[in-house]
Amino acid sequence: MSMKPIEVTETPSLAATFFRALGTGAKRPGLIKSLPKVELVLPRVELNAQHIGQYSALCGFKMGQGVPLIYPQLLTFPLVTAYVCSDDCPWPAMGTVHLANRITQYQSLNPGDVVRVELGAGNLFAHEKGQVFTLDLRILRGDDLVWSATQSLLRVGVKATSGGPYASQIAADAPLSCQTEFSATADLGRRYGAVSGDRNPIHMAALSAKLFGFKRAIAHGMWTNARALSFLLPATPVEKATLDVEFKTPLYLPGRAQLWSAREGNSALFEVRDAKGQKPHLRGQLNY
Amino acid sequence: MNTIRRVAILGGNRIPFARSNSVYSQASNQEMLTATLQGLVDRFNLHGERMGDVVAGAVMKHSRDFNLVRESVLSTTLSRDTPAFDIQQACGTGLEAAMIVANKIALGHIECGIAGGVDTTSDAPIALNEKLRKILLDLSRAKTGAQRLAVASRIRPTMLVKPALPRNGEPRTGFSMGEHAEQMAREWAIPREAQDELALKSHQNLAKAYESGFFTDLMTPFKGVTKDNNPRADLSIEKLRALKPVFDKKVAPGQGTLTAGNSTPLTDGASAVLLASEEWAAAHNLPVQAYITFSEVAAVDFFDKKEGLLMAPAYAVPRMLARAGLTLQDFDYYEIHEAFAAQVLCTLAAWQDKVFCKQQLGLDKPLGKIDMKKLNVNGSSLAAGHPFAATGGRIVATLAKMLAQKGSGRGLISICAAGGQGVVAIIER
Repeated sequence: MSMKPIEVTETPSLAATFFRALGTGAKRPGLIKSLPKVELVLPRVELNAQHIGQYSALCGFKMGQGVPLIYPQLLTFPLVTAYVCSDDCPWPAMGTVHLANRITQYQSLNPGDVVRVELGAGNLFAHEKGQVFTLDLRILRGDDLVWSATQSLLRVGVKATSGGPYASQIAADAPLSCQTEFSATADLGRRYGAVSGDRNPIHMAALSAKLFGFKRAIAHGMWTNARALSFLLPATPVEKATLDVEFKTPLYLPGRAQLWSAREGNSALFEVRDAKGQKPHLRGQLNY
Repeated sequence: MNTIRRVAILGGNRIPFARSNSVYSQASNQEMLTATLQGLVDRFNLHGERMGDVVAGAVMKHSRDFNLVRESVLSTTLSRDTPAFDIQQACGTGLEAAMIVANKIALGHIECGIAGGVDTTSDAPIALNEKLRKILLDLSRAKTGAQRLAVASRIRPTMLVKPALPRNGEPRTGFSMGEHAEQMAREWAIPREAQDELALKSHQNLAKAYESGFFTDLMTPFKGVTKDNNPRADLSIEKLRALKPVFDKKVAPGQGTLTAGNSTPLTDGASAVLLASEEWAAAHNLPVQAYITFSEVAAVDFFDKKEGLLMAPAYAVPRMLARAGLTLQDFDYYEIHEAFAAQVLCTLAAWQDKVFCKQQLGLDKPLGKIDMKKLNVNGSSLAAGHPFAATGGRIVATLAKMLAQKGSGRGLISICAAGGQGVVAIIER
C-alpha cells in the first residue's frame, strides 16, 4: 500500500499543543482493528551542537561520549506530538502512557549532521491493562537509515483490545548489583521539558501533576533512561547499539534513585530503582 | 658453614581482628603486639626463654615506636635477652618477617624465632602540619631573640587546625589502593558478580572455621574481644549486590565494581608465628605443624609500564614455582590474601591468560586454573579483616595448622603489597 508522507512544518505554540492535546480527550473510538497507515516527516533537521550539549549536561553525559544514543529521539518529538493530536491517532493524547522503547543505532550521529526524521504508525498489541500501540521512528542521513526506534504506548483501560498479546522485549535475566545513586531535582521536569519540548503538565510542577492524578511531578521516563545510560555507556562514542527499556513506575520529583546493573562484555542489563533499591522505575537492556 | 636446615612452623597466635575505630579504637600498636606475643609465649610455654630473634613490623607507625618490637618483647615474659627489630614492607611485612626469621634458622644463625606484625588505623599517627613543623625546626635553630621572633611570626592559625594525616594512597600515582584495584578489575574484565561471590565465600568459610573451633588455638582474646568483628553472619549475596561501588569516581565513573563488601575494611590487629629448627622443636617437645620451604618477592612497574599495582604476586609465584620444580596445580591449599576480591580474581585470570603468561612471565604455556575449592578454605581477609602487617602471620599460622590437620600436603601463600610488590611462599608438610 502506498501513501504519501505528510510533512510536518508548523511548530504550534505550547498553549496550542496543550489545548489540542486536551481536545483529543473526546475521542471514543470503540474497537480498533489496526492503526490507520500514516507517515509523518521532518524532511530536514540539523543536529545542533549546543542543543546536544544542553541535553548531555542535563542527563549526565560526558563530552567524550558523543551524541547520546537516546538524543535522536528528541528530534522525533514534534512528529509524535503531531501524531497523537491528529485524527489518525484513535485515542486521546492525555493519559496515554509511554510503556516501552526500543532504539537501534546503526551508525553514530555527529553534531552538524543533516537528517530526515520519519514517524510511521505501527502495530497493536493486547496488554492486560489496555491497548498497546507502537510508533516507528526513523532517522536517515542521506539514504542511510542511521537510527530507528519503536515507541510502545499504552492506552490504559481499553477493554476491547486488538493485536497479539504484548510481550516484553527484554529476555535476559541476571541478578543485578547496585551501581550508583543519582538525584532528580525538583525543577528537573521543567528543565528537561525546556530542552526536549515535552512540557506535559505531569512533569512540570506538583500542582499541574495533581490535576492528572499524580501526587507530585514525575521525571520524564526518557530522562531517567538517559541518566542511567550516561553511566552504562563507555566514555567514547558508540557506533552500533541497541537499547530496550520498559517503564515501570514513576520517579517523583524531587527524588533519589539507584542504578542497578549486570554487565557482560559490551552488554548491560539494568534497572533504575527507588532510593531503597527495591521498586524499579524502569528496566532495560543495552548492547553496544 | 652449616648446611641449610628445614624451618619448622610450630604454631601461631593472633588477637581477634577488629574493624577500624571499633573495639580497639583506644589500643596502640604496642599494646596489640605485646598481647599477641604474650599469648604465643603462654601457649608454647616460652616464659624466660631467649629467642634467637623477634622480627615484626607495622605499616602505620608513630615515630615514638621506632623500636616497637623490642619494646613489646621487653613487656612480655620472654627472656629480656631476646633481640628484636622492626621491618616494614607494607602488607607484605608479616610474611617477609617470617622469611627473615626462617632464613636465619635455615642458615643456622639462630635456633628459634618469632615473626609477626601489627597495625592500627584507629590509633593513626597524625603529624604536625608540615609548614608548622618546618617553622618549629627553624625556631630551634634560631640563636637570637630577634631571629626567634621573626621565625615565630611565620606561624598562621590554619597550621594548627590542618594536621598532616596519613593517606591510604600510592605516593607516585595519587590513586588509592582501591582505585588501583578498580583499574585492574577493568583491565582483566572481572565482573562485580564474581567479586561479590568471592567475598560471600570468604565470610562463609570463616564462619565455618569458627564453628568447627579452628581458631581456638590460634587466638588470644584482647580487650574482652574473642572473635573477629568484621565477619557478618547474616551476609547474603543480595546484601553484597546492594552496595555501591566506592572506588570508581576517579578511574571509572559510574562503572565501578569494587564495593565495601568485596574490598577489605581498614582493620586493627596483630599476629605472630613461632618458627624453629627441628632440633629446637624436639628439645622443647613441641610438635612441628609444617615447614616453610620456598619464598619469593617481586615488584612491578605500575607507573611507567602501567602494570596493575597489585599484580606482583602473579610474577612472584611462577618464579618460585620454577625454582621449586612445581606447577600451580601441585598444591592442596591456596592462601591468596584478599586485599580486594578483584586482586585475587585478577591474579587467577592472569595465570590462565596465554598472552600474559607468554609476554609478561616468559612462559610457553599458561600456569592454568586452580581448584577453587582449595582457595582460602578457612576464610581470608575479606571476612577476617586486614590489619596490614598482621595478615602474613595470620595466613602462615592458618595454613600450617591446616597442613597439620591434613597430615601432609603443600600450600601456597600469596600476598600483594603497596608499591607494586608481592611476597609469596610455599609451606609443606
